[in-house]
Amino acid sequence: MSKNVYLQAIAIAVIDGEAEDAVNATNAALAANVDPLEILNRGLMDAADEVGKRFERSEYFLPELMLTGRALKGAMEVVKPVLLEKYADNESQVKGKVVSATIQTDIHDIGKNIVSSMLTAAGFEVTDMGVDVPIKSIIDKAEEIEARIICLSALLTTSMPFIKDLIQLLEARGIRHKYVVLVGGASVTETWAKHIGADGTAKNAADAVKVAREKIGV
Amino acid sequence: MLNYLEILDRANNGPYTTEENWDLEKVAMTTRRLVKKYKLEWNPKELVTDDAALSEAIWNAGYEMAVELGSYSRSTERIIQLSQDEIDSGIRNMPQEVIMGEGKDARTLYARHLDDERAPLFFGGSPGTPIPEKLFLANVLSYMQEPLIDLATCGTLVEVDGREVRTGNPIEIVSTRRELQYMRQGLKRVGRAGMGMLAAQSSVSELGDLAAAHPDYLRSCDSHLVPMLNELKMDHRNISRAVNSLEYGMVNASLPCVIVGGLGGGPAGSAVVNVASYLVANITCLADYHILHPIHVRHIATSTRDVLWVINATAQAFARHAPSIIVADIYPKSGAGTKELLYETAANAIVNAVSGSHLEGCGSADGNAPNCSGLEARLMAEVALASHRMKMSRKEANDFVLQLLPKYEHVFSLENGNLGKPFNEVYDMQMIEPLDFWQKMYDEVKTELKEMGLKL
Repeated sequence: MSKNVYLQAIAIAVIDGEAEDAVNATNAALAANVDPLEILNRGLMDAADEVGKRFERSEYFLPELMLTGRALKGAMEVVKPVLLEKYADNESQVKGKVVSATIQTDIHDIGKNIVSSMLTAAGFEVTDMGVDVPIKSIIDKAEEIEARIICLSALLTTSMPFIKDLIQLLEARGIRHKYVVLVGGASVTETWAKHIGADGTAKNAADAVKVAREKIGV
Repeated sequence: MLNYLEILDRANNGPYTTEENWDLEKVAMTTRRLVKKYKLEWNPKELVTDDAALSEAIWNAGYEMAVELGSYSRSTERIIQLSQDEIDSGIRNMPQEVIMGEGKDARTLYARHLDDERAPLFFGGSPGTPIPEKLFLANVLSYMQEPLIDLATCGTLVEVDGREVRTGNPIEIVSTRRELQYMRQGLKRVGRAGMGMLAAQSSVSELGDLAAAHPDYLRSCDSHLVPMLNELKMDHRNISRAVNSLEYGMVNASLPCVIVGGLGGGPAGSAVVNVASYLVANITCLADYHILHPIHVRHIATSTRDVLWVINATAQAFARHAPSIIVADIYPKSGAGTKELLYETAANAIVNAVSGSHLEGCGSADGNAPNCSGLEARLMAEVALASHRMKMSRKEANDFVLQLLPKYEHVFSLENGNLGKPFNEVYDMQMIEPLDFWQKMYDEVKTELKEMGLKL
């Protein structure tokens, strides 16, 4: 079989959100000596981009995004050790570690879930902490996993002040410079994001991926 | 009916599953299966359907989902299982009439049937919209003074005495009580002190809700929200709201904001999830009535084609199979001071009037800015009443809506939405009257609607 056939099988599994198929197809490609970097970029990431586009066109919905996330996670677990072995600078292949959370007191998760799924699909390593997450826990997690990006979501106007508190706590701890802080949610505006000292915001999940890429230069 | 303590027990001791598993394996997969099983499809050109078989299929699928899944407690990661008998009992016990308010201003909310002879009722206000304190009283007065408005609702106070309101912070207690003080003051000023309310909107956590359950604030003849989380989930905060009503006796309005394009997938699946949510909310939210408020996954608004279809499908499924009190939120994309807001409001009003709902609105500008006023609520009521008086068929309603869509659909592709202007830039703040340009827009749109054949 040609290399393209293996890559296509991986892409189809990711687009269909079939985790088991994605793992099997990735294993098969590796066994056939397909370059792991090509598996990552042309098999997994291109397929993930396609899923993102389908979501934007309302052809795919949240379940498809979540299933793609699962398929990618499974395939990445297979391909990552091989990448590590073959490429000394493997860490650079992962676009960046992200901590995402809905800020404390806010329990809305759909927007945050979509952004987390899209970032995962775009090659970021996302630790999704869930909803109503205390600001101290978010910072501790970012420190623990050496994240580059902290993604914060708030739907409720009355929860938004806690995002400002998190940025102030980063400053107080002297670690603000270590993180790109991106903020989003129905009530978040660009003006407000600037006002509280965030590094960026986005109008939708696709835009969030673009901003994240720009901010860390990948 | 189940003793509510039994619900608490199940939330604590039910089968364990992760939230991701609930979302994906339970809700998303069950929806997919049921949509396939019942061959459910939506038609973007038939937003108001008159298809009894489709309505029955949506009802059956939603019922099957409610019995199969029950609810999920996010706080304990436990499934709150509900038996078929309990779901059936919830349907049987769903109130058919609820008296809201008191004295001469009292109104009876009722379970609307399809083609009901009785007119729908109207809640006026911009539910949940963040409103600065300096605009709050004038804003709610603009709705309360409207003669066609039967019941009052309001936005959320985002500051009190110059201080930022934070959810779960003691200031939430202050803001919720302040909101109720303004509401009661407003009702007295317009001579309708007994008007019923859906309020305590500033209570985002359970704190404000608990603090407002007092005859000086939220009376037992008023209603408060008992929200569900997406999808079919509860948590201790929202269960606390239901529990708070047990002895005090507030009217419980369940609020499952099903996301169209979310876990239920497209419009057909979302309608199934919405039907299931109400059946579950009968029990977990102790619902006296249900708020119908599907949200578009990207545009939020209730005026997109797919959300209008879900609104129609959900309300109609209940009106045909288990009439219940349903109050539809109108959340247009556009804000005050734009004609598009009025077209969006008219489309929503027509769909709801013929589908078996009462109406509430408007959460103009997606309920995201104080760009809302009583004038669009006036149009909401006028259009819905005209549809009712004309005995508009669902086919005619669909034709009207298809004529309205081209007048506003472009707002969904505007990069910055169509926010319009804040309340104080569309109303005279002393006289509480629309400014000339806003009144003129309203008059022009009303003329257009008449020319389209609406007997306003």
